Amino acid sequence: MSEIVDVSTLKSWLIRFAGDVEEHAAELTELDSAIGDADHGSNLARGMKAVITALVDDEAPDSIGPILKQSGMTLVSTVGGASGPLYGTLFLRMAASAGDCDALGPQSLAQAFRAGLDGVAARGKATAGEKTLLDALIPAVDTLESALAEGTPFDDAIRAAADAAEAGRDATIPMLATKGRASYLGERSVGHQDPGATSLALLFRAAANTMIDGEDGK
Amino acid sequence: MVGIVVVSHSRALARAAVALAEEMTPGRPVPIAVAAGLDEETLGTDAAAIAQAIGAVDGEDGSVVLMDLGSAVLSAEMALEFIEDDVRRRTLLCSAPLVEGLVAAVVAAAGGAGRAEVAEEARNGLLGKQSQLADGGEVVEVEQQQPQPWATARLTITPPHGLHARPAAKLVAELRGLNAVVEIRNVTKESAWVSAASLSRIATLGLRTGHEAEARASGPAAEEALQRLTSLAARNFDESAGASATTGSPAQQPFPTAALPASPGIAIGPIRHAVSGPTLENFEAEPATSPVDEKQRLESALATTRQHIHELRATVAQGESAIFDAHLALLEDPALLNQTQAAILAGQPAARAWAAATLEAARQFESLDDEYLAARGADVRAVGEQVLAALLPQIPIAETRSGEAILVARDLAPAQAATLDPDTTLAVITAYGSPTSHAAILTRARGIPAIVAAGTDVLNWPEGTVVALDATTGELIVSPSPETIAAFTGRAETARAAAEAAQADAHQPAITRDGFRILVGANASTPAEATAARALGADLIGLVRTEFLFLGRESAPDVDEQESAYLDLADAFGGERITLRTLDVGGDKPLGYLPMPLEANPFLGVRGLRLGLLRTELLTDQLRAIVRTAHQTPVSVMFPMVSTLDELLAARSLLDQVLATEGTPPGLLVGIMVEVPAAALKAASFAPHVDFFSIGTNDLTQYTLAAERGNEAVAALGDPFDPAVLHLIRATCNGAAGQAEVAVCGEFAADPRAVSLLLGLGVTELSVTSRRVPETKQRVRSASLAQSRTTAEQALLRATSEEVRGLPGVTASHDR
Repeated sequence: MSEIVDVSTLKSWLIRFAGDVEEHAAELTELDSAIGDADHGSNLARGMKAVITALVDDEAPDSIGPILKQSGMTLVSTVGGASGPLYGTLFLRMAASAGDCDALGPQSLAQAFRAGLDGVAARGKATAGEKTLLDALIPAVDTLESALAEGTPFDDAIRAAADAAEAGRDATIPMLATKGRASYLGERSVGHQDPGATSLALLFRAAANTMIDGEDGK
Repeated sequence: MVGIVVVSHSRALARAAVALAEEMTPGRPVPIAVAAGLDEETLGTDAAAIAQAIGAVDGEDGSVVLMDLGSAVLSAEMALEFIEDDVRRRTLLCSAPLVEGLVAAVVAAAGGAGRAEVAEEARNGLLGKQSQLADGGEVVEVEQQQPQPWATARLTITPPHGLHARPAAKLVAELRGLNAVVEIRNVTKESAWVSAASLSRIATLGLRTGHEAEARASGPAAEEALQRLTSLAARNFDESAGASATTGSPAQQPFPTAALPASPGIAIGPIRHAVSGPTLENFEAEPATSPVDEKQRLESALATTRQHIHELRATVAQGESAIFDAHLALLEDPALLNQTQAAILAGQPAARAWAAATLEAARQFESLDDEYLAARGADVRAVGEQVLAALLPQIPIAETRSGEAILVARDLAPAQAATLDPDTTLAVITAYGSPTSHAAILTRARGIPAIVAAGTDVLNWPEGTVVALDATTGELIVSPSPETIAAFTGRAETARAAAEAAQADAHQPAITRDGFRILVGANASTPAEATAARALGADLIGLVRTEFLFLGRESAPDVDEQESAYLDLADAFGGERITLRTLDVGGDKPLGYLPMPLEANPFLGVRGLRLGLLRTELLTDQLRAIVRTAHQTPVSVMFPMVSTLDELLAARSLLDQVLATEGTPPGLLVGIMVEVPAAALKAASFAPHVDFFSIGTNDLTQYTLAAERGNEAVAALGDPFDPAVLHLIRATCNGAAGQAEVAVCGEFAADPRAVSLLLGLGVTELSVTSRRVPETKQRVRSASLAQSRTTAEQALLRATSEEVRGLPGVTASHDR
């Protein structure tokens, strides 16, 4: 099986995601101001900036697991809001699943995402339909796994996963929040898109954009 | 003790919550670590920082983690994944509300509760508030920053001086604890609304007799608040008709009955006020450390001041005590405290922040056009400076002016007492203080008569006022009549003659009437003290507190430095025997280079020999220096805080190892301190292994009566005349009989009433503060061992210390 994600691809993914978050920070924060504490965009942008700063340091690790681990730890310590431990957990569990290797194949990547998903779900004690980033993460990972299981080429599979994440993101609009700060709003949370699901969709779109040769932008 | 970790999005919030909680447990520090905010300003939580904080407070008893909301919970859970398994097993995440839970948790932890109980207490932290609000019958959702639904009431100001500090404090007190926001304004002067919870703000309203005030209140208890205020106003704010806060001419005031003799002696002379401490305008603050530390300094200074005021308040007549309530209210004034804390958070040292806030408040008063209210600025200044003095490092009282005088001061710190010059300071009178304080002990040691807790009026006495005092009886007479002066002079002459007689014989041995020689030694720890001890006729130095060599430095003194210090001391004492006590420190006075775990109860923790046996390299170095000294001059060595034979044997074995390499000096005597009842009762088991016992009566009394001498609430229990202490001294002498000598080196040995008693119990050596050597020798000479034994036997049959003191043999020896 071909090795899809090597160290340089991984770094590109993270850098792309950081840029996307930076670009969409205002939008994320605006979404958050409707149903949360108006800090998701700035928090995550600050965290990802720190991830990238650590990534380009001379002392930075140079294999998959350790890079993911460092990124996770950095997010934990710099994001501040709930997305810190949640994104941190995602990356840390992916790191543990991936291990200290130079590259991941499609299956290993899917496994890493699954491990990350499980960790995030456990951390937030949330399930699908509660208007959280899981509503984007679950369909994305499910889609990636089933596509690969059906023999779909990796490029198509990761693109489908990114599409699924965005569909999941859009599906959060009518949901009633029962977790996180948005839950304090009760019914008033209905009608707003979840900022966590929105950033998570960015993460998968960035993955698709960097892991597919020649793919760029959407 | 269970540690507490506070997780919050906001560092400022966490610190403030910690400060709030720590107020509940002054003097019983609970290990608390804060993991809050990403930095000073950025809100957020950090699992890695939380893990670190857990590690910082983790100990045997584990820790309880309290957190605010959202990511704080997630991050705390995540932090558990970052810590060691064994640490995680004793770490409890607690769902309690942060502020209420923290207060409850800290109190429970300080009380020694386990972590499950601490967490349970924390979770119950809301109960008080819940029941309070439910009690009101109407659980109202408090609207935030909305236009308040105010209820209002009119109050007419009737007290003769208007709403000055005392009635204003009453007003604040009436509202305390009510769940209501109350504001007040001066209708007559059309003033703005100010918070009725702030004494300083109320007073700026300039409410004078006949003025109309309006109060408005909102919140669940609004009606109650207004009712209380209306009723208070109807009661003339509890001012009695003739009440006046002014005082008469200070010199005509009778001296406060609570004045306490703290150091015996008679003095007549003009008073001189101690060069005043820092003023709000003029002081030097050390640079700020961290806002958390500065906040803590402020809290502790406020607590110290509060205690002082409470003590003084207890000494005055009930009607006048309210003026001290006004002082106490100032210490809780939200406007003052908020302003101070804001400045501290902005990076200022606590002293500067506090001084600026109080100065501003004082000036507000002083700028008022009402003479009486303007004068209340002095109250603010007085309280402000009191707190300020507690915030600043103690400065010695400079005695710059020449001539003899009686020093009058607010209070003396030990450092200040130690700088007094007995040649120019005839006596000391302090407004505050306690006869059991270390400052009092130091004053006694310097032979300066002292009367403490004489009340703040003494601070207003004009400089040069002549005062006669007999600090043996506590008499204090302002502007004495010629007859009084004559009487006091006569008494002083008699006492001086006795002292001179004692001094004349000071260098003669102390032999009882029936021919037994008793060694009278001095406690001395510096060459200067040793020189004094020699001049005053001490037979030996019975106690050298070697910790003086070890305190206040970056690293322990090495063997050479110690040897040379001990030799200097011996030289200053003319080469006579010196008794070196090995290092006696513990958790209550830790050394920087000897980090020790925080102990819940340092007096029952690792101290004295216990520390030496944990840090054997330190003790071995010291023993080596002592042994080398002993090769050159007569030396006794003794180990402090021994409670078991194993400890003594372990210490002796360290000593033996040193002797094996250094050789055994002739005349080296080895002993132990008897400070723990266990050692007194097992003296017979120790006796074969020692040459002498030295009873430290201060500690022995503390441990026997379970009463710390620094704690004024129980200090009276710690009475060395208690029969239990005497039985332990007797047990020591019985156990030592025929094998080892028994000395007493505590303060008890210098008590004139105790000398005969101690000899009768079997003590053969007394070591006292140098100044008391001549007098103690005289006591010995006037005693007979046979009679003393009878006195001691009777004392051992008595039930109380009063009965012991009432024995003819005890009181008789007090008369000259």
